[in-house]
Parts: sequence; structure tokens; C-alpha cells
Amino acid sequence: MQTPHLLTDIANLLILLAPSAALVSLVLAGISLRRETGGVSFVIEGGFTKWMFWAVVFLTLPGLLTWFSGFGVNMPSLGGSITSWWLASFESDVSSFVQSFVMGRMVPVLAAFMVLRSILDTAEGGNPLPSVFAALFLLGAQTTYTLIQQYNTGTQYATVDVLDSLWTYLASVIMPIAAGLGIFGAIIRFAAGKPAMRLVGVSLAMLCVSGLWYLIEAMAQ
Amino acid sequence: MSFYNGILNLTNWTGNVILPTLAGLLFALAVVRFSRGLAYFQPMYAGLLCLLGSGLLRALETFASQKSWNDPDVYWMSIVTLVDWTCNVIMPLYAALEVAAGGLSLVSGMRIHHTSGWQRHFLAAGLSLLLSGLLRLAEYFVAQGTQGVA
Repeated sequence: MQTPHLLTDIANLLILLAPSAALVSLVLAGISLRRETGGVSFVIEGGFTKWMFWAVVFLTLPGLLTWFSGFGVNMPSLGGSITSWWLASFESDVSSFVQSFVMGRMVPVLAAFMVLRSILDTAEGGNPLPSVFAALFLLGAQTTYTLIQQYNTGTQYATVDVLDSLWTYLASVIMPIAAGLGIFGAIIRFAAGKPAMRLVGVSLAMLCVSGLWYLIEAMAQ
Repeated sequence: MSFYNGILNLTNWTGNVILPTLAGLLFALAVVRFSRGLAYFQPMYAGLLCLLGSGLLRALETFASQKSWNDPDVYWMSIVTLVDWTCNVIMPLYAALEVAAGGLSLVSGMRIHHTSGWQRHFLAAGLSLLLSGLLRLAEYFVAQGTQGVA
């Protein structure tokens, strides 16, 4: 029995809207980064990890769906054009809204609020970095999206491939830079008469993330 | 715009713009505290560290690259190198500083640090130079006690 056109169109619509959903997920991840732990870390099963995971899932959905063929489920070919003009128009409108309204205008405003928040955090005696990190993440959401697309292998393992590549990117690119911030933080804490050795140890650890991973792996054997 | 560029520029701005500027403030604070007879070493050293931010990061990068990136011992080796550098490079320099301060204190009767006499300066210099020996001595004592109390 052939799949009705309407159902195929709806399935294609959902597949074509997945990139927009991934972008929205990245924006929500940026907001969660500031909200849940103060911004310099993330909670396992917290908002940031959840929305990052969904962003990756949305972008690797076609690869993930190929598992169903492997399970013996007869899959209609998805990802083609939408024949129904009003569904095609709906897809175009939603994509345009996400690009122009959310990414083009809303995200910079949210980032600007985060910068304002960092000043108010400092005024309250807190740390301005969490809000600054959240602002940077929000402003870089589009580039993060492109980065995830580059890591997408398009295979049935695409989701874990992307997560694996993101871990490597975090450990080898972001963490060495964060180590610099850590050592500067240690200097500022020393100047303020607060304990600073913890941040020195953390900076060293940030420079050795891959080595620590292999250490834990060796311990588990 | 990307998160990578953002955090990189934030780090550069903090280390190369803000910290050197704060160094001036800290040196001013050290002078004011010195003029009032208060402890001025912390703001003085903090000012120096502010100017050394990039160099300290390069030092940590060197400590962390003693082994290859996928070696399980890389973190341990980086801590070992940090300890080695502190005890064998920094502490002998500190010893020289303490000897100079002790000599000055002995000759002029002036206290370089308000809590320290010249004896304390010379003792600190000796201990700074004896760190490895003190560690070996402690290890020897512990090794002697492995059989327990008879």
C-alpha cells in the first residue's frame, strides 16, 4: 500500500523543519547555560545538556531514522520536496521566522540582556563571567550550528559522532583557552586575598583534559 | 561570530589589557600600605603577577605538555613539573631575596617585613634551599616507620 501524499508531505515538513528546531534548541541551551548553574558549568540532565542533545538530534535526524530500515521497518523516502503548496509555504514561513526573527533579532537582544545582567551580577557581589559566557554562546549559536553540521557524518551513527566531535572540540579547543581565564582568575583571587591554588589546579586540568580521560579509561580496565 | 572567538578575545582582553592596568592600581596600593607600615607584600606580588599573566599561562602550557596529549600520566607529570619548577627554580630565587633582606635587616636594624627579624630571613633562605633535602628526610622517617611500633 502506498503512503498517502499528505502523510509523506507532513513527514517531509517535519524533516525540513528539523534545522530550525536545532537552531531554537541552541538558543534555549544558551539561556539554560546561564540559568541552571551560574554559567561556568553545566548540570548533567540539566537544561543546557538537554537542549544541546536535542539540537544534535534534530540535525542528525535523517541518519537516525535509517535505524528503522535496519530494524526491518519499511521506510518511505523522506527529505524530498513538499508537494502540498500550503505545507511548503508553512515550512518556508517557519524557517524564515527562525532565521530572521529569532536568530537575526531576538538572539542579539537576549545576549545584550546577558551583558547587562553581568554588570548587575557584579553589583550584587557575584561573578560576571556566567552571564558573559551565556552572551557569547548566544551570539555564537549560528556558528555552533554550522560546526555541528560539519561534524555530521550522515550515517546511522551521526548523532554520537557529532557528540564525540563536540567533546573533542571542547577538550582540545575551548578548554586550553579557558585555562588562560582560570590562571587570570587565580591572580585576581590572590590579589583579593582569597585562596587561588584551586584555580591553578583547575587550569592545569583544563590543559590535560584528554590525558585525564585516558587516565580514567586506564583505571577502569 | 562564534563562541570560540568570543572566549579567545575575552581571555586576551583580560590577560593583556585588564590585568596590566590593574597592576598599576595594585602597586599604588602596595605603596600606600608601605607608607602606613602595613603589610604590602600581597598587593606588590599581585601586581607583579598581573604583569606576568601571559607568561604564567605559557608556563602552565609547558608543564602540561611534558607528555603526549593522550598519555594517562600527563596531569600527574604536569603537577610534578609545577612542583619541580617551584622548588628548584622559584625557591632558590626566593632564598636569594631572603638573604638580601636578612643582610639589610642585620646591618640597618630595619625590618623588611614587619613580622620578621633577620634570623627569620636567614632561616627562610636556608629552608628554601633545603626543600628537596627536607622532603627526602621526611620520606626517610616515614620509610623507617613502615614496620610499625615494636
